[in-house]
This record gives sequence, C-alpha cells and structure tokens, in this order.
Amino acid sequence: MSASVTPVARAALGLAAILLLAGCATAGAMRPAATATPTREVLPNGVVLIVQEQRASEVVALQLWMRMGGRDEAAEELGLAHYIEHMLFKGTPTRPPGSIDTLIEGFGGTSNAFTSYDTTHYDFVVPTRHLRAGVELLADLAVNASFPPEEIESEKKVVFEEMNLIEDDPEKFLLRRLYEVAYSPHPYGRALLGRREFIQKLDRDQLRQFYRKHFVPKNMVLVVVGAAAPAQVRQLVEAAFGRIQAAAPSRGETPPVPTLGPARRVDVSRAEKQAYLGLAWRTAPLANEDVYAVDLLTSILGDSPTSRLNQTVREQLRLVATIEAGYGAFEKAGLVTVTARLEPADLDRAEAAILDVIRKVRADGVTEAERQRALITAESSYAFDIETAEGLAKTYGQAETTWTLDNELAYLSRLRGITAAQIQAVARKYFGDEDYARVRFVPGAPSR
Amino acid sequence: MTRVVLALLIAGLLAAPAAAQETRERLDNGFTILVRENPIAPVVAVSLLVKMGTRWEDSTNAGISNFVHAVMVRGTARRSGSELAEAIAGLGGKLSAKGDVDDSEISATALARFWRELLGFTAELALEPKLSPGEVDGERDWLVGRIQKRRDNAPARAFDEFYAALYGAHPYAIPGLGTPESLARIDHAALVAWYRRFYQPERMTLAVSGQVSAAAVRAEARRLFGALPRGAPVTEPARSVPGNSGERRVFEQPAQQTQILVGALAPPLGHPDGAAVKVLSTALGGGMAGRLFVELRDKRGLAYTAAAYYDPVVDPGAIVLYLGTAPENATKAEEALLREVERVRQDLVGADELDRAKGYLLGRYAMDRRTNERRAWYLAFYEIEGVGADYPERYRRAVEAVTPSDVLRVARQYLGTLTTVVLRPR
Repeated sequence: MSASVTPVARAALGLAAILLLAGCATAGAMRPAATATPTREVLPNGVVLIVQEQRASEVVALQLWMRMGGRDEAAEELGLAHYIEHMLFKGTPTRPPGSIDTLIEGFGGTSNAFTSYDTTHYDFVVPTRHLRAGVELLADLAVNASFPPEEIESEKKVVFEEMNLIEDDPEKFLLRRLYEVAYSPHPYGRALLGRREFIQKLDRDQLRQFYRKHFVPKNMVLVVVGAAAPAQVRQLVEAAFGRIQAAAPSRGETPPVPTLGPARRVDVSRAEKQAYLGLAWRTAPLANEDVYAVDLLTSILGDSPTSRLNQTVREQLRLVATIEAGYGAFEKAGLVTVTARLEPADLDRAEAAILDVIRKVRADGVTEAERQRALITAESSYAFDIETAEGLAKTYGQAETTWTLDNELAYLSRLRGITAAQIQAVARKYFGDEDYARVRFVPGAPSR
Repeated sequence: MTRVVLALLIAGLLAAPAAAQETRERLDNGFTILVRENPIAPVVAVSLLVKMGTRWEDSTNAGISNFVHAVMVRGTARRSGSELAEAIAGLGGKLSAKGDVDDSEISATALARFWRELLGFTAELALEPKLSPGEVDGERDWLVGRIQKRRDNAPARAFDEFYAALYGAHPYAIPGLGTPESLARIDHAALVAWYRRFYQPERMTLAVSGQVSAAAVRAEARRLFGALPRGAPVTEPARSVPGNSGERRVFEQPAQQTQILVGALAPPLGHPDGAAVKVLSTALGGGMAGRLFVELRDKRGLAYTAAAYYDPVVDPGAIVLYLGTAPENATKAEEALLREVERVRQDLVGADELDRAKGYLLGRYAMDRRTNERRAWYLAFYEIEGVGADYPERYRRAVEAVTPSDVLRVARQYLGTLTTVVLRPR
C-alpha cells in the first residue's frame, strides 16, 4: 500500500478503436467487438460500473476507485485519506483483523491500495473462480469498515515508517518536496501521508466521520476487467453494491493554484553524496485542451534516452547522471517536472542547460520526427499497460474519477491530431525562464 | 501480407487459448530459440540470456559482466549508442542489457508490428557490439556513480552487506555492479576478452513472447544467429563452497530506518527441497498474511517492511528474512524475528496456514508470468539453466505436495546457522 504522487495523463483506448476502424492490424482487428471496449453504467444509487472482458489469463482485476483523495482533507487533518486506505483492510464486523489479507492471498490473489490527491483506489487481482468473493469483499470494505481501535493505534507506527521510507529515498522525496514547493498552500502540495503530530493523535471518530462522508455510492467507481462474462459481473455487482444506500456526496472547492517564480526555490541539505535537482512548471490540468500537447512536449523533453534533455544535458554535456521529465496532470492543475541526479558542482550549469533546452523548443519548436516518436511512445505505453487486466482497469478508473472515460477512450486519437506548432505553442505558454519552482538536494549535514 | 496471416493465426489462438504453447528449436551451432505466441496486446518482448555473470567473477574483476553490457549498449559496428536508442524508441520500444548472478540479459520490447526490427537490433547488439575504447571511462564513471547511489540507499547497502557476509569467498558474495576498486582495474582489453569468452552460440538462449507468428520469428532468428561459429569451451573457475559463518555484522550510515537481514544458505535451483523451502519462506514472510508481517507489523507495529523470500539460483541459494524498522524498535524487532525462526523450527505449521502459503506462492508465480517481458525471461531462464520447459508445471505439483512436516524438516535443516546484518542510522 502506498501513496502515489504523479498520475500521468496518457495512454488511452483510442488506439484500439483506431486500429479497429482502419482494419489494418493487430489487436483491434482480431478482437471480437464486444470485448474491445468497456461498458459503463450507473446503478440507481449512483455507483458507476465499468466492465470489460479480457481473456489474457484466468484472472480478474477488481478495482474500487473513490472520488476522494488527499485534496478532500481539511488543512488540519492531513493524512486522513491515506490512513483510511490502510485501515480499510483491517476488518469489518464479519471479518476480523488479518482475515482479509489471508483470504485474498489464499486465493492466490493480490491486494493493493493507492492514495492520490484526487482519488483513492483499492485493487484486487484474483483467479476468476473467486470473482464473487472478491466483489463481495470490496463492497463490504466500502461501507462496513470497522476501524478496530487497537488496529488504529498499531498502524500509526507503520505510517511513520512509511514516512521515513520516503524521506530515505532521495528521488521520491525530491518529487514530494518539489510538489510542496510548487503548490503550497494548495492541497496538491500536501504530504499525502500527513503530519506526524496529527497522525499521533488521530482517533476512531475522526476516521469514521471522514469515511462516512466520502464513502457514498456517488463517489464510487467499480472497474472489473478480466476473464469473466460482463453479464455475470453486472449481476454480482448489482447485488453487492446496488444495495448501498444513496447519499449526497460533498466535495469542497479547491483554492486557486499559486503562480511560480524565484520565490519558490528551496535548497535542502541531505546525507547523500550526490546532488539532486528538481524543476517544475505549472501546466494544464486534465480537463484542459492543452493536455495533449503538454503530454507530447513532456515526452519529447525527457521521457526516454533519446529525449532532448537526455541527449543534451546527459549525453553531450555530461552534466547529469540521470534526467527525466514527468507530467503530473490532475483534475485541478498540472505540473511538469524535470528531475536529475548529478554531481553537486554541476548544479548551476545543469539548471542553465535545462533552461537552454526549453528555450530552444520555445524558439524553434520540435521536429516532425520527434512528434512521431512521442506518438509511438504513447501508443506503446498504452499497449504495454493493457497487457494485464489490472493495467487496463487502472486506465479506466483513473479516467472515470478524474476526467471522463470517453476522454480516455479518445486520448490517442486526440494526441495524433496535435501538430508540431501546437507543441511549440504550449512550450511558449507554460515554460518561462523564470516561472518555475526549484528544489535542490545538496550534500551536507541533514537539515532536519 | 504478414498481417493477414497473423490475423488468422491469432483468431485461431483466441478460439483455443490452451494451444498457446512455446516452440523450441536448437540450431546446429548450439544457439536456442524459444517463441511463445500471445495474442492479448499488440506488443512483443525479447530476452536473450547468456551464461555469463558474477558466478564467473572474483574480487579482482567484480562487476565485469555488468560493465561489459554497459559498454555494449554504447554502440554497435553499425550505429552509435544514441542512434540505437533512437531507433528503438521509434519502435515504441526499450532495450537494455545487464549482468546478473548466473546469466546476463539483453532485454527488449516494442510494438508487435516491429518485431522483425527489434530482433535485428537485439542481434546487432549481441553479435556486433563496438566496445569502443573511448566509451570505457565514461561508463565506468557512470557505474561508480550508481555504486555510490546504492551505498547511499540503506536497504540496497544492507542487502549487499548481507550477501557478502553469507557467501564469504563464493562469487555470489560479489555485488553485481562491482566495486569502485574492481571497476578501476578493468580496462578495455579485459572487457573485450570477457565478451568474447562468453558470447558463444551454445551459451545463448533467445526467447520471444508476443503478438507474433512463431514460425516467422524462428525463421528470422535462424537467419540472424545461425551463422555464428561455435566458440572455445569456457573453463569453469574453481569456486569456494559458500561459507555461512553465522556472523552478526552491524553497520551504520545516515538513514531514517534500521535494516535487519537474517538468513541462511538454501538449496540450489531444481533441488528436491526447493518447493518446501519456498513454502517455508512464504509462510514466514510471503505477503501480508506471512508470519513476519502479521506478528511484527500488524500485531506489534515493530516494523514497516517485514518479508521473507527464497530465490533459487544455480549454486546454493539464500533464504532471507528482512525487516525495515524505526531505530527505537530495532532490538525488539530482531528478537521477535528470531522467535519466529525458532517457532517454525519447533512447531508444525497449521493446515490453513499451509494452504494460504501455497495459494499465495502459486498465485504470485502465475501472476508474475503474465506480461510478455516476464514470459520471455522465464522461458529463456528455465532453458539456459537446464530445468526444462515443463518446470512451472513440475514446480506447481511439488508445491502442492508439500506437507507441514516437510516445512518443519527444511526449517530445521536450513535455518540452523543464521547470518545477520544490521544497518542502523548514524
């Protein structure tokens, strides 16, 4: 169980649809039409069900996506969403602590859960013969979690350890700090694991109140992908989730995101002998039309060994050991990050070189070859995501909770329509010489 | 044209998924080809395994198998490293090469429609690497940086120290990346000699899995690898018997967590006790219902990470129990871990617990063999280690047959002498 910081907008089912229409190749053309796209329906109480049959192997992925995440916490209750993620597996009135893990693992299945800013999701993969038990378990967790007091206490140490683990990993912690510096005080800048002082005092009532408020049918999206007939899935889900009592969801407004600039630059002393550099630019949120061009631009800048940042800053100038760009596209805002590991003496030159690479894109744009390669990368990324049932389910759950399923299904075809000029335009619009946040990890006595 | 043939083939496979078996072919020069057709996604994965790794290294050239692969990907006779990377990216693919313990691997993936190009690049990298003298220093620096990063990372450092303590003079004690000192000694000539010694057709196995035609892939692989002449046999070095000394070593470095590793030598791959030791390690620490997780994390909150595993290798393997914990809990956590070891050596595991462990073990094993990348690796690995293509099925039956008294017997046999490494924050 972990907190994920950067869901990235990309990779949609659009691909399969295109191939199907073109009738020219591989997956789409051969698949029976009924299984090539998901079906989406809304139960009377508001639960959304997305189902797709996929016979890759005799397993089925069950994922409960909640329209709830770190951004729904009040400023004085940071870490609640993630804590609930941990506590959900601790039991219900009919399932004592420990029995849920034993059950799933005894099936030969896996369970996992993730907390992000916009969403939280609970995932199982089980052999198809345990489909019914899996659906019933998820529904039980969704409304009957019992939050045993002794489990609440013992899990605190676990969460503190999780905090330590992130701090010990310089790459994860760099991204964490970069988000904080780039977003604070907006909720996307918060530590999803929360603050020690709050977690230390956290009690059962706070957990139950938050759970009751957010775990309502209209916030629930159930995604089922795998070797199971959609009709059977629908029947099981209607029986288990359809009976949950409807209630009005309440999701507060988020404040506007801050603008970035020289005031948002932080240096952190760390024990590592190497330095780390992170830069971040404010870009498009998920529902924005620019999301496609920003996605391609991020890929061209730093998504592979052939990307511009790798070729220039690592290969030619030898200023960094590793460098990559990532696009965290969330519902309310987007951030493109560039992160690098390097020698401390090269920090200034590496930053200047990164800015030069971006300046060149603003001035001269990108080549058609780069655009094509970014498209192939996106197509490929999607193709590898859907190798497993849980990979495909994740693309659907993410889209339904933070965007729309239709947007996801059309994503690759929309991406194909983006021109080199549009990519250059978003570089000019979002990537200035000054308007970025920066975090540097420099060797020294840890400043904590 | 190819696409039409492929379409028919895949339609057939969809109708009868059970027919998706791998095909195997050994060429006259000893090179082995395995292909598995998998219609599910429009992708292909290639794994080329070579019998070369730390198992053939010693302290003077530690890390050379990995080093040679790092230099190989810097370019071939036909194109530079960045041209190669660019060409692979154009296939929607990835290509990497690395040295491991018993073997080294060139691993590549791409969109399935580019399978022919991907095979071509894999062959080019394996058979015509440039191994340019000008790339050696830069790659050495890069690898030394990675070694430094690994030493800065508390869990990674702890595992390296643990294997060094457990294996003593046996080459499994060597970290795969080598050491800054050993890499400094390895020059261009040594890398070229190492490459020539091991990249022989009879030491290589190619496995391909994906939305491809087995016949077409085999024909192309024959064309690419069939003309390679057989090489001189590799003389096996005399290897020390691994010496589990039962030591407890303590290290310190800046970190938030304390790492505790406790373990012992275990059977090699294919050994009759292998299945029982797998079940033992799973009952102890496989997943969130394993004893370490339940007792130390769930019930007492003494550790964040609490796991145990056993990965069989060609020479004796290791059964490892691992805790990541807050420094103030470290002493209690280590004591509790040792009590779990004592308990599993004294009492039979319960029937429910045994069933849970078997279900978890076999479930995870099946789950791990779903992506084409993993399928290709498993195919090549079982072939190159000589355990046979039916190994997964034999393994499944062996696991199902394990009884509580088998678990007790192997716990007593293998968990008697324990080596311990503790890495704590400074």
